Amino acid sequence: MILVITFLFCLFLGRFFYIQVIRKENLHYLALDQWTREIPVHAGRGSIYDVNGVLLAGNDAAYTVYARANAVENASSAAATLSGILGVQREELEKKLSDRSKSEIVLLRKTGKETVEALASSSIRGVYYARDDIRVYPYGQLACQVLGFTSFDGSGTTGVEGYYNSFLAGEDGELLYETDLVGVDLDNSIAAYFPAQDGLNVRLTLDYRIQSLAEQVMGQVLETSQAKAARAVVLDPSDCSVLAMVNLPSYDLNSIPRNDLDALNSLSRNRVISDIYEPGSTFKIVTAAANIEEGLKGNSRALPLNHVYSSSRTRVVDGTTIKCWSDHNNGKHSNQTLAEALNNSCNPCFVDIALSLGRETFYDYLEAFNFGRATGIDFAGESIGMLLPESIVRDCDLARIGFGQTIAVSPLQLACAAASAVNGGYYYAPRLVDSFFSSDGSLQKKTQATLLHRTVSEETSRILSGMLEGVVRDGSGKKAYIEGYKVAGKTGTAQKYENGHIAQGKYVSSFVGYFPADEPKYLALIIVDEPQGTYYGSTVAAPCAREIFEGIIDMMHLPRSEG
Amino acid sequence: MGRTNKTEEGRGDLLFLFAVILLAGLGLVFVYSASCYNAGVRYGDEFFFFKKQLIGFCIGLVCMVAVSFLPYERLRKGGLPALILSLVLLALVFVPGLGKSNYGATRWIGFGSFTIQPSEIAKYGFVMFTAAYFAKDPGRMRGFKGILPVLLAGLSVCVLIMLEPNMSVTMCVGAIMLGMIFLSGVSPKTLLAICIPVLVLVPVLIIAEPYRLKRLSAYLDPWASPRGEGYQLIQSLYALGNGGFFGVGLFHSRQKLRFLPFAESDFILSVIAEETGFLGVLLLFLLIGFVVWRGFRIARGCRDLYGYMLVSGITLAFAVQSVLNALVVSGTIPPTGLPLPLISAGNTSLIVTMTGMGVVYGASRHKEGASPHKIYR
Repeated sequence: MILVITFLFCLFLGRFFYIQVIRKENLHYLALDQWTREIPVHAGRGSIYDVNGVLLAGNDAAYTVYARANAVENASSAAATLSGILGVQREELEKKLSDRSKSEIVLLRKTGKETVEALASSSIRGVYYARDDIRVYPYGQLACQVLGFTSFDGSGTTGVEGYYNSFLAGEDGELLYETDLVGVDLDNSIAAYFPAQDGLNVRLTLDYRIQSLAEQVMGQVLETSQAKAARAVVLDPSDCSVLAMVNLPSYDLNSIPRNDLDALNSLSRNRVISDIYEPGSTFKIVTAAANIEEGLKGNSRALPLNHVYSSSRTRVVDGTTIKCWSDHNNGKHSNQTLAEALNNSCNPCFVDIALSLGRETFYDYLEAFNFGRATGIDFAGESIGMLLPESIVRDCDLARIGFGQTIAVSPLQLACAAASAVNGGYYYAPRLVDSFFSSDGSLQKKTQATLLHRTVSEETSRILSGMLEGVVRDGSGKKAYIEGYKVAGKTGTAQKYENGHIAQGKYVSSFVGYFPADEPKYLALIIVDEPQGTYYGSTVAAPCAREIFEGIIDMMHLPRSEG
Repeated sequence: MGRTNKTEEGRGDLLFLFAVILLAGLGLVFVYSASCYNAGVRYGDEFFFFKKQLIGFCIGLVCMVAVSFLPYERLRKGGLPALILSLVLLALVFVPGLGKSNYGATRWIGFGSFTIQPSEIAKYGFVMFTAAYFAKDPGRMRGFKGILPVLLAGLSVCVLIMLEPNMSVTMCVGAIMLGMIFLSGVSPKTLLAICIPVLVLVPVLIIAEPYRLKRLSAYLDPWASPRGEGYQLIQSLYALGNGGFFGVGLFHSRQKLRFLPFAESDFILSVIAEETGFLGVLLLFLLIGFVVWRGFRIARGCRDLYGYMLVSGITLAFAVQSVLNALVVSGTIPPTGLPLPLISAGNTSLIVTMTGMGVVYGASRHKEGASPHKIYR
């Protein structure tokens, strides 16, 4: 009998030893969770600045007040006191404070500092507050599609706010209180404090001054031409950093139309990056660049610079007739060289180039200029455009691609391609963010320009740029001309397609320009979608580029070039 | 075997007495520690359970001392009446108005705020009856027929307790019954014939009540239903784990903060384990083991079979309960409601156990050095 009892004693003592000594850590870890209630400590969200340090997105201090009903000692007296402080109906508060089925209830969101100071001095048990800032955008509509916005709980959903959310958000901390089973605080509760780590501040490449200038210019053209939309992107062509990005119409970031989802989706879309269009004649820059480069390389199929193109208005390819936009009656489109063809934006000449270079060579350049692929900008939802696969492209398609039809690109793709054609042949991935700073102002990371491809040689680039300067001086780009600043560029007017057919009377007027032509510093792509009345890129879009460039010259006090 | 120890005559086994009082005193301390928070929240008086326990301790002490002056032979005639009284009290639980229900079981009879738990009394009633029955004619134990009345008494007590329901006390009485039959010197063959049906009966009883099955599965994997059936066991394991080897210190249990149900009664050992660690549990059970050892030593020292059976029966009841409770608390067997004798809050158990211990101590005082019965095991 004693043996049996001794055996049992040893059995359960062994069991106690196993649980208490061997499984201690494991059990303690499991139990820790039920012993504490945590109050979140919100990390301050990083701010967004322009390249000069102008604040574009910041925070207003605000707090959310909440209660743990189980820790409230007297719901009705607490409700009476709180009602005065929070300005919330007493009955409503009492109902919330008495609902012990929930461990945590929000009493008031986004309230000011005075409220929580009053709350702190009243010291009601079971009522807490936590930082819950309001995101503010000092310039409201400015660059709204680029900046993007945050969701109700303060995490970035669109734009830079969304793309760089993990940098901006920081890491929330925790305040741990020891409580009993139902959440009543212990008297001498040891509160463990895990501080929050504030988010990083983001400095954009965007220049607030150029952005607001471009928005102003595009807003005017939107109004005067009664267009559906107006878009613009201004780049530094030397490294493809984005200086301005405009999508009109826009909306106010401080009063986001959250209740009208369709409108919000449409207005907040950064169409410069996410939407595609048929570029039309601005694409001739790429065709011309390919031809010049192949000519310099000695490819006999390239048409020489002094080649005189046929004056005919039409070309027949694969049995289809391709016409020039001009009727060729005034003689301007006769006996043109490449420079003149660019000036006149004569379509048949570029058909000749595309067909002469042939599918393989021409597609090599389309690839080098990064069409059909993402530019790699630091922004979500980039469109890669539409490019017929090389294997199925017919000659009649190739011919049209030569002057910017049968191909769709995003405005950003075109701007970057044009920049690389004239900056010496360097294709950089465009970027929106310049650097990251911690909340104490120290630099954490600076982004670098990323060279994706060489497109053409410096020589080709120089020759092409000279021709494009001529376009602005003598050709279709005249309305972008600024005396003494070597503005260069190319116009574009494309008919819009709807359901596979040309939509009568609907055009996209565009202009891609830059200056100074010999060492490009500013490049702007202007797109006016469905202008009413005059619709030529030369008359609708080119003047916008001039206004923006003039504004930049004023702003930066840029000297006139010699010669 | 048989040993005479004249020096203990008169004063009796004082070490045994002190150990028992020490255990009950420790019980007071830990009842306070385990219940103070909960009592403060529920009754606004953190000494609520402590005060109740203190009353039980005082009454128990008086009963213990009083009984120890009584020669145990006087109890011999009370064997059958004790059994009948036990059965009546157990039956009274089912009388509407008298029986008190709690946690889905009717285990108490009450008069106003005064409640008693008849099953605590019945354990000792059964011991008294069995000791008296065997002592009357030791020859009875040889055959199955002779044992039959003991089996019938045990079974009727078991059935009544089972109906409350209270599985663990039923198991406890069953174990005491088998233990006493064994101690009475029955042949191994007969013992086996009794044990097998009992062992078969256990799974049947478990399956018969759905809540027992649930508890069994909770025991096998408490984390499968952490908020349901497994809750109690998980909380007990958390307490044990938190205690570690040296414990978190007296009065510093976290699990008593309403996490651990029945912290002051059935699961008081969890709180002891948390506050004093494995070391505390080891020392506590060395003390309990000491009481059990001295109890059996006193039984062997009794001058007649009746004394031997009575004392060892009481000691056995104490040992079996202690071990069962420890097995429950450590998650070794499925959770059942069973107090840790002398320590857990609950006055019926405390007073009756202390009284029983008084009988044992009394036996150590009144023995006259007679040679022990030869069949003593």
